[in-house]
Amino acid sequence: MPGKTADLRAALDAQARTIIDLFAGAGYGFIDPDILQPADIFLDRSGEDIRSRTYVFTDPAGAELALRPDLTVPACRYYLEHEPAGRGEVRYCYSGPAFRFQPDGHDELRPREFDQVGLELFGSADAETAEAEIIALTIDAVRAAGLSEFKVKLGDLGLFNKLLDGIDMPARWRQRLKHHFWRPQTFHETLVRLAADPGAASGREVEFMGEAYGGGQAETMAALTGRLEEGGIPLVGGRSVGEIAARVCEKAADREAPPLPRESAALIEDYLGVAGQPRDALQRIMSLIVAAGLDMSTSLAAFARRITLMQERGIPVESCRFLAEFGRSLEYYTGFVFQIECDTATGPMPIAGGGRYDGLMSDIGARNPVPAVGCAIHTERLLAAVRGEI
Amino acid sequence: MAGPLTLAIPSKGRLMEDTLGLFADAGLAISKPGNDRGYRGTMEGLDDVEVAFLSASEIARHVRDGTVDLGITGEDLLRETIPDLERHARIVARLGFGGADVVVAVPECWIDVSTMSDLDEVSVHFYQAHDHRLRVATKYFNLTRRFFAEKGVRGYRIVESLGATEAAPAAGAAEAIVDITSTGDTLRANHLRILDDGLILKSEAVLVRAVGVDADPAKARLADTILDAIAD
Repeated sequence: MPGKTADLRAALDAQARTIIDLFAGAGYGFIDPDILQPADIFLDRSGEDIRSRTYVFTDPAGAELALRPDLTVPACRYYLEHEPAGRGEVRYCYSGPAFRFQPDGHDELRPREFDQVGLELFGSADAETAEAEIIALTIDAVRAAGLSEFKVKLGDLGLFNKLLDGIDMPARWRQRLKHHFWRPQTFHETLVRLAADPGAASGREVEFMGEAYGGGQAETMAALTGRLEEGGIPLVGGRSVGEIAARVCEKAADREAPPLPRESAALIEDYLGVAGQPRDALQRIMSLIVAAGLDMSTSLAAFARRITLMQERGIPVESCRFLAEFGRSLEYYTGFVFQIECDTATGPMPIAGGGRYDGLMSDIGARNPVPAVGCAIHTERLLAAVRGEI
Repeated sequence: MAGPLTLAIPSKGRLMEDTLGLFADAGLAISKPGNDRGYRGTMEGLDDVEVAFLSASEIARHVRDGTVDLGITGEDLLRETIPDLERHARIVARLGFGGADVVVAVPECWIDVSTMSDLDEVSVHFYQAHDHRLRVATKYFNLTRRFFAEKGVRGYRIVESLGATEAAPAAGAAEAIVDITSTGDTLRANHLRILDDGLILKSEAVLVRAVGVDADPAKARLADTILDAIAD
């Protein structure tokens, strides 16, 4: 792609101005975070799949830098720099380039450099109101840009986590299931194994530890230290004897633990299968929860309240679709998530996406947790959709 | 693209010797005219073949870029350098030498880690307990990313290693490695252990043919002649 024509540039700029004016009118202050970011944050916070799509390089002084792959993390860094003490609710909007390597080749709709327009709301104590505000403004923005035909997909990672928290099982199993949420196949296999034979995955530690296998943490540590010394095996690789012993103990406990009840596994699968209009989905989830004898009234009340707030803001809730398994490939989302899509010949194309990411600020160095919800709009795709080019 | 057919072969070591042996046995002996230190050679009986002596990794890059027509190199380098190999070239012969496995190995002391699934779980604990992601030292970025993604391992970070990869864990530069091994001796000597399902690729020297060759009938015929000769 040799570059944009003056006409295309002007159209994108005009579209961005329309959206930023709308955000500014709603109280969102414009910020312009750095394009060059320290690479560490993207490499260590997001893992290899984002890294493999991030342009990383070393500057002449030897510092590792990245071209920002999105503006969310840069906006969080901007917030931490300018609001070190935190101060109630802070609203930012932005517009600017972001860069992502496209492993299958880049083109107009999968560009490696693209303009992102977005907004972030930090520090709001009222989660549902903040979420309704962000999704409503996002929908207002794509409408203001001229898009009339689109679909809205909703999800809620917080609800899924609450469901797991409510089901009786060892904490390490819960952690494993939450970890695999992003990979349906692995998640399913893990669930099947936990419900059938949770100790099946035990490996060489049984043999290595011999009689010492299945003891307590202190005993396992002592035995492990002894065996490593006897075998002349150096302790390399960063993990301490305590860390290794703790996991050996966990795996030993898995062999002793009764399997996850089949009804619990079925409940999880049934929940993930929920899809439909938000109010219908809520009804379905409630009946699943009640049948299982769980109490998730606070979370479900929040879900219902969010729907009402969205409706009050003019979102046609009945035409949105809630999918319990809808997550995002970016690991940092923690709660409500949404995506605005347009139908194309090759399937739905995401135009904008956002949600709640309460863990990210602490991850990048905030002293106290900062609730955060935001959204980013893919402006090239939005323009193409408005022009009927996709 | 008219002109002679370019065959690229490794310029040093066992790989070069075995390759020269292969062609000599096939009756297509390769010689470097005049200057023994040159990087160009000729093939006996086939005047329209130009032989280029290059490093094995350069050969993979040239195949990708279409600047050589036939090449002999390790399958590991080929698949690492050309993730979408089918679009650029195809492997037309496996040569039975230069064999080595690309594997995932972890410290021997990690007795609780036998599989990629264990590694995935440990990567989560590791990130919580340490201030950085679990690091995998390798020169095989693409092979590693693809294999780890297939196996569902996400919470790691690649650190580049251009030599003595097996020493990275002991040096504190990485926790695990992806590297090539033929006997496993070097890994054992460095107190590393291959994961049970950690075999990424069983590699050997291969003859690879760039897709562009087929656009030129004369070159395609020459390539067929060479292939037939070594297949016999």
